Amino acid sequence: MALQVSHDDAGGHDEEGISNVILGMILFICSEVMFFAGLFAAYFNVRANAPVWPPEGNPHFHLANEIALPLIITILLITSSFTCQLAVWSIRKGDRAGLIRNIAVTLTLGIIFLLGQAYDYTQLGFTLADGTFGTTFFTLTGFHGAHVLGGAIMLSVVLYRSLAGQFSARHHDMVEAVSLYWHFVDVVWIVLFSLLYLVPAAAAH
Amino acid sequence: MATTTLRAGVGYRSGLYEWLTTTDHKKIGILYLANSILMFLLGGVFALVVRLELAQPGLQFLTDSQYNQAFTIHASLMLFLFVIPVLAGFGNYLVPLMIGAPDMAFPRINAFSFWLLPLAAIVMLSGFATGTGAAAAGWTEYSPLAQAKYSGIGTDLWIVALLLIGTSSILGSINFIVTIFKMRAPGMTLLRMPIMVWTMLVTSILVMMATPVLTSALIMLFIDRNLGGHFFDPATGGNAILWQNTFWFYSHPAVYIMILPAMGIISEILPVFSRKPLFGYKAFVFATAAIGALGFSVWAHHMFTTGAVYLPFFSFMTFLIAIPTGVKFFNWIATMFRGQLTFSTPLLYSLGFLTMFLIGGINGAFSAAVPVDFALHDTYWVVAHIHYVLFGGSVFAVFAGLYYWWPKMFGRRLNETLGKIQFVFMFIGFNLTFFPMHLLGLSGMPRRIADYDPTAGWNDLNLLATIGGFVIAFSIVPFLWNVFITFRSGQPAGDDPWEGNTLEWATSSPPPPYNFDHLPEIRSERPVFDARHGVSHA
Amino acid sequence: MSNPTPRSPGSNWLAFAFLGGVLALIAGLIWAVLAGKLQPPAPVTTEAQATRDLYNFVFVVAAVIFLFVEALIVFAVIRYRRKPTDTELPPQIHGNSVLEVLWTVIPTILVVILFIFSWNTLNTVDAVSPAPAVTVRAVAAQFEWEFDYLAADGQTVQFRQQTPELDLPVGVDVHVILRSNDVIHAFYVPKFLFKRDVVPGLENNFDFTIDPADVNQTFRGQCAEFCGTFHSTMLFSVKALSPTDFNTWLQTQIKTAAATPAPVPSGGGTAATTLDLTAHNIAYDTSSLEAPAGQPFIINFTNNDPSVPHNVQITDGTGQVIFKGELVTGPDHRQYPIPALAAGTYTFSCSVHPQMTGTLTVK
Repeated sequence: MALQVSHDDAGGHDEEGISNVILGMILFICSEVMFFAGLFAAYFNVRANAPVWPPEGNPHFHLANEIALPLIITILLITSSFTCQLAVWSIRKGDRAGLIRNIAVTLTLGIIFLLGQAYDYTQLGFTLADGTFGTTFFTLTGFHGAHVLGGAIMLSVVLYRSLAGQFSARHHDMVEAVSLYWHFVDVVWIVLFSLLYLVPAAAAH
Repeated sequence: MATTTLRAGVGYRSGLYEWLTTTDHKKIGILYLANSILMFLLGGVFALVVRLELAQPGLQFLTDSQYNQAFTIHASLMLFLFVIPVLAGFGNYLVPLMIGAPDMAFPRINAFSFWLLPLAAIVMLSGFATGTGAAAAGWTEYSPLAQAKYSGIGTDLWIVALLLIGTSSILGSINFIVTIFKMRAPGMTLLRMPIMVWTMLVTSILVMMATPVLTSALIMLFIDRNLGGHFFDPATGGNAILWQNTFWFYSHPAVYIMILPAMGIISEILPVFSRKPLFGYKAFVFATAAIGALGFSVWAHHMFTTGAVYLPFFSFMTFLIAIPTGVKFFNWIATMFRGQLTFSTPLLYSLGFLTMFLIGGINGAFSAAVPVDFALHDTYWVVAHIHYVLFGGSVFAVFAGLYYWWPKMFGRRLNETLGKIQFVFMFIGFNLTFFPMHLLGLSGMPRRIADYDPTAGWNDLNLLATIGGFVIAFSIVPFLWNVFITFRSGQPAGDDPWEGNTLEWATSSPPPPYNFDHLPEIRSERPVFDARHGVSHA
Repeated sequence: MSNPTPRSPGSNWLAFAFLGGVLALIAGLIWAVLAGKLQPPAPVTTEAQATRDLYNFVFVVAAVIFLFVEALIVFAVIRYRRKPTDTELPPQIHGNSVLEVLWTVIPTILVVILFIFSWNTLNTVDAVSPAPAVTVRAVAAQFEWEFDYLAADGQTVQFRQQTPELDLPVGVDVHVILRSNDVIHAFYVPKFLFKRDVVPGLENNFDFTIDPADVNQTFRGQCAEFCGTFHSTMLFSVKALSPTDFNTWLQTQIKTAAATPAPVPSGGGTAATTLDLTAHNIAYDTSSLEAPAGQPFIINFTNNDPSVPHNVQITDGTGQVIFKGELVTGPDHRQYPIPALAAGTYTFSCSVHPQMTGTLTVK
């Protein structure tokens, strides 16, 4: 009964299949999807129960009128997903300089998104306490923003570790995992932006 | 199956520092078990407080407000800080051993998951130190009652505690799923894994998918209470029923989280003490998966009386979920048939589980019939149901598991005589407490009342239930004594005291830090049995 | 080498002790059934009878399943104890596909039958008549019940019963509408084998017909959804009267209520000052009122928020409540008689929506 080991190195890689870290991140993203599902369910429920949406009483609820800044930061966030993927492709080829460059751009775009979002909050003309519209708007976008912030922190760690030369073509699980998370955050924003801005804009025409 | 001879290296940590900083799944599993049992005892004290007050009509010891805090914290401790974590503790200890792995996939996250729990307990209980008391609107905290207007800061502390516990659960579930999919020893295919591991896998998927929905509900309630939000406030366009839907979308799968690993424990014990394989292994796998999947489709059966639910769908799905449960029952019984039963304490508790969970499942079926639920909802019938499935079910399975795996964990066997004394008193006390509640509920006694009408005819049964509660409390004494004397001078256990089937019995008791010196050949779901009896699957 | 499973000499008596426990449990169950204790109370409405029939059917199925499965367990425990002569392993049977199919299909059929019976009964219990004989709105608030007897239009309140006693005629269809002024409550009458939640923002309703055989009985009712500190005190009763007695009673109540005029402020020769105040969109239409000091006056309060309760409450500078008007659910109006107040500044507010507030200057 000789001791048999699975052919796996200390990094938790099998010969086949994705690494433990990436599987773990995929599962974590699934749980986050369910978290947002709860918030979206609340939004749809509250909206379906309202006699008219956006509710009367505050002209600022017509978000389609103030779509410029959100549109700009949306484009920036989508761009950042592209640069993030470029970073992954770079390090898969062993291109450490490309990794650093692209992660830095991704992080910068992410921070600009957050700053833009924060500024937009001050210009909106309604608060979280302004009826169900305000509550759902700020909760949905606010928690999305919190997830962007978390992603930005992770990107900072990736950037630091890249600068320290800790990633190679064979060992860069964290980069792959963080990029998956960043794409997820972007997809959630696309859904949010469409629901909160684009759909009302289309309906108004 | 030799006992290990490797000694700990230089600088190996020991003592209290080791326990506080360990990332070893076995120690973390024991920490989970210890903390959970502590919460069980504390939750039990609250239960005795409730039963003391209800023994006779009239408010003898508590104010209404204190009573409401007592039943709320009793349930919150038992569900979130005892039942779910104790099963996670068994999973933590056993899963890597049972699949032939050296540890869990993410050992440091594993430790973090545990330490969130004592913190959460402190946060939840700190409500008692506030001016308005601990959370007091039931463990279900329905809105609008849970809103800031009607409930004090204890509710916010309860929310934070549950957020911490949810984080612990979700991280733990990811750990289990990655470990099970990625770290099985060679030969350990999915369909050779012990049923305990299968139940942990399905449970972990439920935790991962359902708990975040509770997180979203708790956050929305926090926003309503503290930031001027309007999610659940009907006066400003919010929806009180929205809370119930989001809450139960998690809390119904939660009850399967609370029973599936317990069923896994029973599925490990019955074959060993019948000296036969588990009957219908594949059926168990399918039934477990079916219960997990169906569990997501029944949540609104907690809301039949709200007038806001499509009744036939949820009634039908609730009836359906009885079928995979029945399949498990028949397979367990068939495992015992034509076997050779030895009535050890683990087997006794398993037999107790079968009878009690049968009653709990059956009385739940009454509520699936919607008009009957109109009569029984929110009465003591439901209290009977939940305790038959959670205590008669999960708690009995927990004690079965403790007695069964104690030798593996600590290298010593718990005293069988004391175990059997505990079982007898617990069985009697349990039925004395909870069976009368069927009658109380049928005759109209609602839940969550601090006091009741002395002319309603409920006095005798309430007194009986209180006496039963103290019998249960008494039964804990032989258990605690057993633990104490076993640590002091229990008989050494050896690697495999029960003639087990699964890989944890292929190493020393307790196992070395890296779990296995040698693994036997894995060609069936009973590798240790095969090795013992020279069975080859060539 | 591992140890063989030890055969402790006492294990047989333990098996019998367990069996004894199980048999005692079953005996207790049989006693409870024969004594009628495992039954809901005798039903007093036609709907309750349907529910009781469903309960009995489920109970028979449940009892059969319990006895059958428990018998299998008991049989296995007795018959398959390990004996000293059992040195060889028993036959290592892994499963049986035929059995698996049988014990999946048969329970499925059973469950479908239960569901169909249950759905049928639900249609009876939930049926609502287009022309009920009596329409009552049960209004729940922490921790009291109030019953509004409504006219045939379902809106006009003929009589407001402020004690928690719901008088109703037997033998005819009664329609109950549920309204909450604060949190979720539940209207539960055990002998109706029925409860329904009272949810703010949702107007639940249901019908029932009390069996004429139960005339002149009183049935206890209780809130069955935890609603706060004094939930356990939120009781009410239902009194069943013959239709003639009921009509007499109701007309008497209506006449008495009309004969008692709305309290008119006494003292002072001049007509009382009337202040108009309207609530709309969870806000008062003004945030300042003025009233003369030392004389009682009237607040003519109109609530324009449909299904939303408001009132007017007056507190003095120390926060003490001087006057609390009864809750009015819109659209509706009420004249609140305010007692004479000393000169000073007071706050008026809605006790349900504290953000609705204003200043009452008395001089």
